[in-house]
Amino acid sequence: MSAGTSQSQEHPEPAEEPLVHPDDRGVFYQLGAAFFDGLRMARELYSVFVRTIYFSVYGRREKGAFAQQVYEQGNNSVFFLTVFMGFFGMILVFQAGEQSKRIIPDLSLLGAQYLQLLVRDFAASIGALMLATRVGAGIAAEIGSMVVTEQVDALRMCAADPIEYLVVPRFKAGIVATTAVIIWSCLIAWLAGLLTAWSFFGVLPRTFANTSMVSAGDLVVGLTKCVAYGAAIPIVSSHSGLSTFGGSEGVGWATTRAVVNSSLAVIILNFFISAAGLALFPSS
Amino acid sequence: MGAVVEESRAVVLAPETTSAAAAWYGGRRMSGGSVLGDEVKEKGVVERTGASFLGISELVGGFSVMLARILARVVPPRFDGRQLVVNLHKMGVKSVPIVAVTALFTGAIMVIQAAPLVQRYQAFGLIGWGAGFGTLREIGPLLTALMISGRVGANNAAELGTMTVTEQIDALRALAIDPIGYLVAPRFLAVVITLFCSTLVADFLALLGAAYSAGPLLGVEPRVFYNGLTSGLLHFGDVAHGLVKSVFFGAMIGLSSCYFGLNVSGGAPGVGRAVNATVVVSAASIFVLDYFISFLSA
Repeated sequence: MSAGTSQSQEHPEPAEEPLVHPDDRGVFYQLGAAFFDGLRMARELYSVFVRTIYFSVYGRREKGAFAQQVYEQGNNSVFFLTVFMGFFGMILVFQAGEQSKRIIPDLSLLGAQYLQLLVRDFAASIGALMLATRVGAGIAAEIGSMVVTEQVDALRMCAADPIEYLVVPRFKAGIVATTAVIIWSCLIAWLAGLLTAWSFFGVLPRTFANTSMVSAGDLVVGLTKCVAYGAAIPIVSSHSGLSTFGGSEGVGWATTRAVVNSSLAVIILNFFISAAGLALFPSS
Repeated sequence: MGAVVEESRAVVLAPETTSAAAAWYGGRRMSGGSVLGDEVKEKGVVERTGASFLGISELVGGFSVMLARILARVVPPRFDGRQLVVNLHKMGVKSVPIVAVTALFTGAIMVIQAAPLVQRYQAFGLIGWGAGFGTLREIGPLLTALMISGRVGANNAAELGTMTVTEQIDALRALAIDPIGYLVAPRFLAVVITLFCSTLVADFLALLGAAYSAGPLLGVEPRVFYNGLTSGLLHFGDVAHGLVKSVFFGAMIGLSSCYFGLNVSGGAPGVGRAVNATVVVSAASIFVLDYFISFLSA
């Protein structure tokens, strides 16, 4: 506070501006408002989801839209994910090696353990968090700027449902592209981990490449996560884009909300799918 | 000052958005057929590599210059304290719900991921350590930073970008108010402080979530979990490691959002691009920094 005194004395503020927004009316008011906001958003998301499913089955298909969206969401994310999952694999193996050296100095099971964690959770979840950032922001910015410039209303005027025309190709492409990109990034993270283990802890690649711990259940859980995230990210971000209001400021807000909400969706889905996986495929 | 900003933020460059967005959208989508955009085919590999190299160099240079200018305002404090408080409230207090939800679920997920290992060796006493170590050192700071970068970084870039586009930054300069001291340095500090405090809160809530989800999921009492946490395998160094990381992540989020926000060009669509670039660059630099900090501190 003291830092600002010199400047604010030179340029006094015209009116005493409240530090806390006048809308902040107390804990219960805010809790209630948050609750009803959440409820309304859940209903809207559900409605977008149901309509997307309906139009994916019965809707018209625009030629080339699906391929373009796969290119946009998949191919354009490959480089991004390759770099970061590579770094992530290095961090994970490095930390895990350091950690297990404290307890058991035997690192021969490191590779098997790491591959299982990667397949069951980290490849899908961390990859999807990165995709939520890139793809979610892109979708929300695109649809949001269409809403702001009334192009979505123009679509409605042409009897083209925006969900059918805009959301469905992104939804279908999201499932395909996310699954493909995550499988690729899982491979990259594993290779990066292998190289890290080899160069820092002297674990031979032959020892590291051990798939004995990956069961069918792990694969099923991992692939379920890919599909669930691939479906959730486009739906959540399209919803943010479609509910844009205001001008360019609104598009900025929609982008922010898309990133935050799709990341939250990934984390929450991760919890439920992991818990279901633990219940359905208990490790023997 | 704040009131002026609020009012003129509503003024948007609608005509520019319309034409640019329509051209962009129409050109890419409604031409039909071609999946590859035209601009992808135009340049060769060498040219694109060179362009991205130059782009990265420009980014690193711009970040360094901005960091130096911010630090020059911070070390003998010459920034606006009131803006710092306003931004701390807007960034920190308003992010608490997201951080809390993320942390609680993260703790539960860490328990689920540690479960097969623990079940295999029947080492239930170790679950506290297993979940705690991963949460405190890696996942807690990382996920908190990703969430804050999505919420705060993007919002910050959008706000500064709109101010740049509507020439409010130039207006500040015309009034002899230093934009770095008035707008950028308080935001930068606020992001760093917010992320540091959020990581502390997230660590606590994640461990709480882990302790109370270990019961229903694995049948491990919370007390056993706390025992595993405090049995001497975890040190203060592990917590400090995560907190040090969070400071660097916060600095990176603050820098990239302010840099992209102040360097917006091309009207309202430019603001959208800046927001996108902020989110992507902060997420990217968080991962890269994470690696180097983990590696250097070991």
